[in-house]
Amino acid sequence: MEPVRYDDRQKIVRLSTEIVTARRKRNWRKYIYCGLLLFPLVAFIFGFFVIPMLYILYLSFIETKGETNAFYSIGNYVHFFTDSYYLHSLWLTIKISLYTVVVSLLLGYPVALTMAKCSPRVRGLLTLLVASPLLISIVVRNFGWYLLLLPNGTVHQLLISLGITTSPPKLLFSEIGVVIGLSNAYLPFMILSVATSLYNIDPSLEKAAAILGAGPLRSFWSVTLPLSLPGIVSGVVLVFSMSMSAYVTPALMGGANVPMLPVVAYDQIINLLRWTYGSAISYVLLGITLIMVTIFTRMMEKGRYREVFR
Amino acid sequence: MQTVVNDVEIRGVYKQIGKNVILNGIDLQVKQGELLTLLGPSGCGKTSTLNVIAGFLDIDKGEVFIKGKKVTHIPPYKRGLGMVFQTYSLFPHMTVYENLDFGLSLRKVPKEERKKRIEQALELVKMVGLENRYPRQLSGGQRQRVAIARALVVQPMLLLLDEPLSNLDAKLRYELRAEIKRLQKEVGVTTIFVTHDQEEALSLSDRIVVMNKGIIEQVGTPTEIYEHPCTEFVFQFIGKSNQLEGKVKTVDSRMVCIELEEGVQVLVESKNMMGPERSYSIGDEVKLYIRPEKLTIQEQESEPEIFYYNKYNASIVQMNYLGSAWEIELLLFGKRVQVLQPFVKSDWKIGAEVTVGWNPSDMMIVKK
Ligand SMILES: Nc1ncnc2c1ncn2[C@@H]1O[C@H](COP(=O)(O)OP(=O)(O)OP(=O)(O)O)[C@@H](O)[C@H]1O
Ligand SMILES: [Mg+2]
Repeated sequence: MEPVRYDDRQKIVRLSTEIVTARRKRNWRKYIYCGLLLFPLVAFIFGFFVIPMLYILYLSFIETKGETNAFYSIGNYVHFFTDSYYLHSLWLTIKISLYTVVVSLLLGYPVALTMAKCSPRVRGLLTLLVASPLLISIVVRNFGWYLLLLPNGTVHQLLISLGITTSPPKLLFSEIGVVIGLSNAYLPFMILSVATSLYNIDPSLEKAAAILGAGPLRSFWSVTLPLSLPGIVSGVVLVFSMSMSAYVTPALMGGANVPMLPVVAYDQIINLLRWTYGSAISYVLLGITLIMVTIFTRMMEKGRYREVFR
Repeated sequence: MQTVVNDVEIRGVYKQIGKNVILNGIDLQVKQGELLTLLGPSGCGKTSTLNVIAGFLDIDKGEVFIKGKKVTHIPPYKRGLGMVFQTYSLFPHMTVYENLDFGLSLRKVPKEERKKRIEQALELVKMVGLENRYPRQLSGGQRQRVAIARALVVQPMLLLLDEPLSNLDAKLRYELRAEIKRLQKEVGVTTIFVTHDQEEALSLSDRIVVMNKGIIEQVGTPTEIYEHPCTEFVFQFIGKSNQLEGKVKTVDSRMVCIELEEGVQVLVESKNMMGPERSYSIGDEVKLYIRPEKLTIQEQESEPEIFYYNKYNASIVQMNYLGSAWEIELLLFGKRVQVLQPFVKSDWKIGAEVTVGWNPSDMMIVKK
């Protein structure tokens, strides 16, 4: 190789410093552009989400006595955790959310598995099918279920005419109805998140399991299922938190019989005008959801299959 | 009479996907304890053949026997084989120990023995002390070793390796190649090794199967394949080659004389005929092949003690130093020809006139 001549070296040094300063300038400009582009969204979120949330938090620590008397206290929260009606409502909310998670996981996993196994073209079609309910408003979908599940409605008549039962259970205005409605609404999220993690599994792992002597069931249990855990966890977290905060479905399909917390909070604020207590309920709901989701994900990430989450 | 039992026997295997014929009548026998290599260009059906033996690919026609037992329609998990994949395919959520334990626990081996066998297998591949690592925490070479250990620990009837070294760098590949050969002889397991690297195949195998477009071109030992290729494809695929063209002038049982151009004749041994058609008559158009290292350069009018049947004048066009040898390009009969020489003389320079010679037994001939 030819040695670098002195003036060449100088040129190189000059060039490289030029590049560095140019890059620095450009970076500053880039930050400013980014800031400008992001500003509307940040302002929007701040004004219409962060401030109201803080205001609700503030409200929840105000206790009202009679018409005029108001003071700071944690009385609202004490009231919530000492009144059995609200505790029952909290328990009901958690229970129904868990049922919804289980139902959508059991129904969704096989679909996701099918999507992962089929050819790309069929997969695209299935993805479209799975996501298509999201194109229809949840209110409309719930009304659909409402009609189907009415006492003596289509589902009842079907159950009777098929001879499955003579006195079908109450579907509408019951926990079953709410679970049906919620699972239906949130199934696409479960399917898509499980499917995504299934796509990422190297197909040769199943071959490796097979050649080592694992039949299809064993291979699923020891290889596919553990490796799809990240998708299951994100699906569960999504569906659980959405179910915990669902309002339309419990209100429409559960009515007064299934007082889930969002409905109760709405009732307190809109109908009874107890803004401060309703605010406290909202924050209890938020807190409990966050705690449960955090514990669940921590457990999974520290558990037997922690390696999968890396 | 002693009958040799073949560990694997494949008869007339035919497979078509869509309009694409992937395997077009494969017949293959693998002897007990041997290391057989499937060699061929990309897409020739090596992996498919391996998958047929492993049971991952259903075939349209033909039969597969393993240890004399017909397994054509038996699923992979009941065949009791070991396999190493191109992408290692270690279970990412299991430690090295758990990866090795997977097959053993399925075979209901008692816990104590499992432990012992896993230790032995790890010792064999020099991976002791890394039992509790996850695949993520291993280097490429280490992963490959674990994959081999995982396949061997179940004491398979047959070990299948699908391009196990192709993802590694050259040096590691060389090391692991030698190690696979050692392991295979130590354990004595019948092995089928897939590769598209001819050097790997030549250095590793007891026998080589050269494949092309879904058929087997030739089966033989590495020297047979290299020195006596049966077809033009095998000759060209393995090693480098120079090509000349000419017409048959005379032919007898020992030698064929070929006229390259007016007045220039070369001799080729008759047994070096390649291809399906092996009877030649005068006037046939033929192609001649010779490997660069079979050609020898001499200075003009010197060293009369080395006598070659074929000896011609040529001029040097280019010289490349390869480290272990020199690659010299000559202009011979107006064609560029490559020669591999272990040394060069001081007056061999570009443009120099030299004499090049070769033995009639080193040249291959095939009909056009
Ligand atoms: N699932 C499939 N569908 C259609 N064609 C396939 C399929 N699998 C393989 N093929 C075709 O079969 C032929 C042989 O494939 P195979 O994987 O056996 O090649 P190979 O010799 O292992 O090649 P490589 O060295 O690239 O791994 C190729 O032409 C390939 O395109
Ligand atoms: Mg292949």
